[in-house]
Amino acid sequence: MTAVSDPNQLADLLAEATDTRVNLDFESEGMTLNMGPQHPATHGTLRIVAKLDGEQVISAEPICGYMHRGYEKIVEVRTYPQINALINRIDWLGSFANEVPFILAAEKLMGVEAPPRAQWIRTILFEMSRVANISLFLGDFGLQLGGMTAGFYAFRDREHVLNQIESATGGRFHPNFDRIGGLKDDLPKGWISDSHVAMDKLLAFCDEMEDLLVGNEIFQSRTRGIGIIPADIALSYGLSGANLRASGVDWDLRRDGCPPGLVYDQADWKVWTHPDGDCFARTWVRLQETREAAKIVKQLLDTIPAGPVMAKVPRIIKVPEGEAYVATENPLGEMGYYVVSKGDLVPFRVKIRSASFNNISIVPWVARGAYVPDLISILGSLYFILGDIDR
Amino acid sequence: MGLVESGRVPKPLSKLLNLSRKYSIWAYQWGLACCAIEMGAAFASPRYDVMRLGVIPFPASPRQADLVVIAGTVTDKLAPAVVRLYEQMPDPKYVISMGSCANCGGPYWDSYSVTKGVDQLIPVDVYVPGCPPRPEALLEGVLLLQERIAHEDMAERWKGDPIVVS
Amino acid sequence: MRTWLSVGRVIRLSSADTTDATASGASAEEVITDEAREAVLAELTARLGDAVLGSHIRPGDDLWVRVDRSAWRDAAEAAKAMGFTFFDYVSGIDWLPSPFGRDMDAQEDLVVSGAEPKEPAPIVQGYAGGETRFQVIAHVYNIATATGIHFKADVPDGDLTLPTWTGVFAGANWHERETREMFGISFDGHPNLINMYLPTDFQGFPLRKDFPLLARRVRPWPGIVDVEPMPGVADAEEGDAE
Repeated sequence: MTAVSDPNQLADLLAEATDTRVNLDFESEGMTLNMGPQHPATHGTLRIVAKLDGEQVISAEPICGYMHRGYEKIVEVRTYPQINALINRIDWLGSFANEVPFILAAEKLMGVEAPPRAQWIRTILFEMSRVANISLFLGDFGLQLGGMTAGFYAFRDREHVLNQIESATGGRFHPNFDRIGGLKDDLPKGWISDSHVAMDKLLAFCDEMEDLLVGNEIFQSRTRGIGIIPADIALSYGLSGANLRASGVDWDLRRDGCPPGLVYDQADWKVWTHPDGDCFARTWVRLQETREAAKIVKQLLDTIPAGPVMAKVPRIIKVPEGEAYVATENPLGEMGYYVVSKGDLVPFRVKIRSASFNNISIVPWVARGAYVPDLISILGSLYFILGDIDR
Repeated sequence: MGLVESGRVPKPLSKLLNLSRKYSIWAYQWGLACCAIEMGAAFASPRYDVMRLGVIPFPASPRQADLVVIAGTVTDKLAPAVVRLYEQMPDPKYVISMGSCANCGGPYWDSYSVTKGVDQLIPVDVYVPGCPPRPEALLEGVLLLQERIAHEDMAERWKGDPIVVS
Repeated sequence: MRTWLSVGRVIRLSSADTTDATASGASAEEVITDEAREAVLAELTARLGDAVLGSHIRPGDDLWVRVDRSAWRDAAEAAKAMGFTFFDYVSGIDWLPSPFGRDMDAQEDLVVSGAEPKEPAPIVQGYAGGETRFQVIAHVYNIATATGIHFKADVPDGDLTLPTWTGVFAGANWHERETREMFGISFDGHPNLINMYLPTDFQGFPLRKDFPLLARRVRPWPGIVDVEPMPGVADAEEGDAE
């Protein structure tokens, strides 16, 4: 073994050694378990290499990169509208939500503000994509813990939201609807009343899920007290979204750091937190968030102002020189874009701060000392999208 | 049966066997990216329900599958796993490439890490275009594949010669 | 009846139901100075001394601080002690203008703006200045006051190393791995500096500006082959674009 001379490194090692959750028997051989890259419980191509001592996990290291598409490089050779079409595909379940922080960052650099109607519709679609995203999480998490029915229910009821997104934007999955300075189009006729109906269905779906999944005894015994993340650890890993709120941190960018251009202050809603920080808390917070999102949509639908949906912007978009970081509370957590512009058609550098990357980086910490079946609960409840990790 | 090896399968028998094969495709889902969700909607949701076409989704392992749907972006790091999965499947096996990324690289046509088309790695029977394709489009792809299976000469296919698409 | 502001005017939004006024929400109305962020900067300067090399404040929005690279870890510790406990990200910036010029842009842009001469442009760093081609940028957040700090540090070409942040913010682990892989900037004391995304035999550092996207050289832009004008608007669009 090489000697450690660097005091910083020594401190890190010491911190790791004093982490006594794992009662290691260093003499035993152990076993290495490889999950993935194709594994039903990792939705996508995440690979986990876990070292086991019996049933207990000594270390679990996620291996990413199977979905690395080189976003940060290829956006440097795309114009701003082209990027807008591309970044839908980072977090593919809440596509519209990906566009918003990037567009807001570009708008900030250009000094453009979208008209009120566009802000309203943006917020509505943002929350709709949150509903579409998290409703699938509820079903998928049930599926991973062995409850197939939840998955079928989620796929069934998610279609109601996707229909609304599709009828407004033309894209079921990847809307590409947001524009610098507003939106591509206005809403179609009858959309508002249809959306009310869809949101009512989703609220009923949440009640159904609460009975079917969250209230289920097997579900609770597989999630309660599993994968506990304390608040200070969560903060130092940069966990965001429901994962952070489930650890008791009352922090929501929609309420606390909402960038101009979204109208969350126009609706009456609540940020839910849970003190436990375990897998159950994360699921529960997400369930409440789906409800809140549906409520926000319903309130905003009633107050959409009249007016244009597009501000005056030049036809060929050149973003002035500058740097801007805009983050919003996406379905998975904080998603931010650090845009550096040199006054060109294309951005000079775009750093994409995606939520899942930080959220999943805690897996080596939280999986230590867990049991193998709990690994599925932990991974499922941290809720990641592969495209959001690897980009 | 001996008939296949000798290259002579009576037409009616071939037709009968093809009919049964076409309506009992075990499809392995290889969900990689956005398309995986649309494939999930097609395979697992009550709204689209692929089982009515005689496709049985979710086999436990690729060794039990007849069809693999490559749904999503294939990266260079993943490519060995794709090839390995294909080699694990028993013959006769079919591949549906779903979505622009699997077809040709799609929006990542200039990326440094994306394989520009899964057909560089494994033979593809049906391409389903779209980004991502709607679940209906995938069902259409399944129908095309079934049509293809119905007109297949089993002897020719099982001899291992390259397939010519008519 | 509510009246709406006219189009194009900036509407700043205040927080919905926070009791304590946050810096970004409260101080936004036509304020040129930003006391909250200046206080943060002052305290940071007091803690780090000469190591603060440059700073930039965009009032009501953001704060950039450039620190000396020897004080990179001290900066993290100081920020954490000041309540900036939420770790956001670490990444890098390569300020070299792309040596490929318009070659690397979309072909469509060539049509719009014409070819550009390929003379090497000077390196110009962004906010808070800089002296080197590579800079590392990091963002930490204080969730009590809703303010963030963007830290920057120069990394000279000859010695692309920085002290690691992993002991201060555990989440920096993966971000530093990513930065190492994408820019070739290594971090002293990092426990496990291996590739994050790419296969181990991958050559080069993709996010450096001199890393070419080879597919762009060998293939024409796919969009150019099936340009289909929208019915009715075809002529007007063509005329505009020229």
